[in-house]
Amino acid sequence: MIKVLFFGPVADRVQTRDMDIEYTDGMNLHDVTHKVGMQHPGALSIVSFIAVNQTQVHDKQTVLKDNDEIAFMAKFSGG
Amino acid sequence: MSDPVRIQQEDFSQDAEIAALKASSKRMGGIATFLGCARDFSEGRDVSEISFEAYGSMALAEMRKLREEAIAKFDLLDARIVHRVTTVQAGDNIVFIAAGAAHRATAFDACRWMIDELKQRVPIWKKEVTPEGESWVTQHP
Repeated sequence: MIKVLFFGPVADRVQTRDMDIEYTDGMNLHDVTHKVGMQHPGALSIVSFIAVNQTQVHDKQTVLKDNDEIAFMAKFSGG
Repeated sequence: MSDPVRIQQEDFSQDAEIAALKASSKRMGGIATFLGCARDFSEGRDVSEISFEAYGSMALAEMRKLREEAIAKFDLLDARIVHRVTTVQAGDNIVFIAAGAAHRATAFDACRWMIDELKQRVPIWKKEVTPEGESWVTQHP
């Protein structure tokens, strides 16, 4: 299973803080992004950063492992 | 002694943080600090509250990395970063950063660098509550 997390403004748009996506062999970040985008059209337009297991990832072809944690995040505004 | 990098709900004591920083080295000749606090006005609107949300595990890891990078980059003797994640009112403390170095110039530079980097790199978001409703904040310069 892939755990998908949403925070702040992204969580407000998708109206949930997390969702599980069934893992399949060879699954990559693009597959997960596509699934989330299909379920929540428009919600990803404010996503500026994606993290896999708490590390920012820029390559959508990044291959995932079972139990990976993916976070979709808007621009940060701490401080 | 408290961890030099923390995310917490409760307020912090600047005196306690500075004392902890000073205790780490007697070679410290300059300490620069940054205190971020809540304003009651933003983008032309009154702000009654600000609430913070963080991707806790990643935010803490990134803040620790940031401190280590600052120590190496500016040859600091020590540094501390504390960020509150809770709901605050105008005037309340939000974030505290302290850089301790042998001399003032590097302490100032490092302190500025850490808060600028924190805003860019640490997954924390703030939502302002105004009479017109709530809205997530986009980056301030």
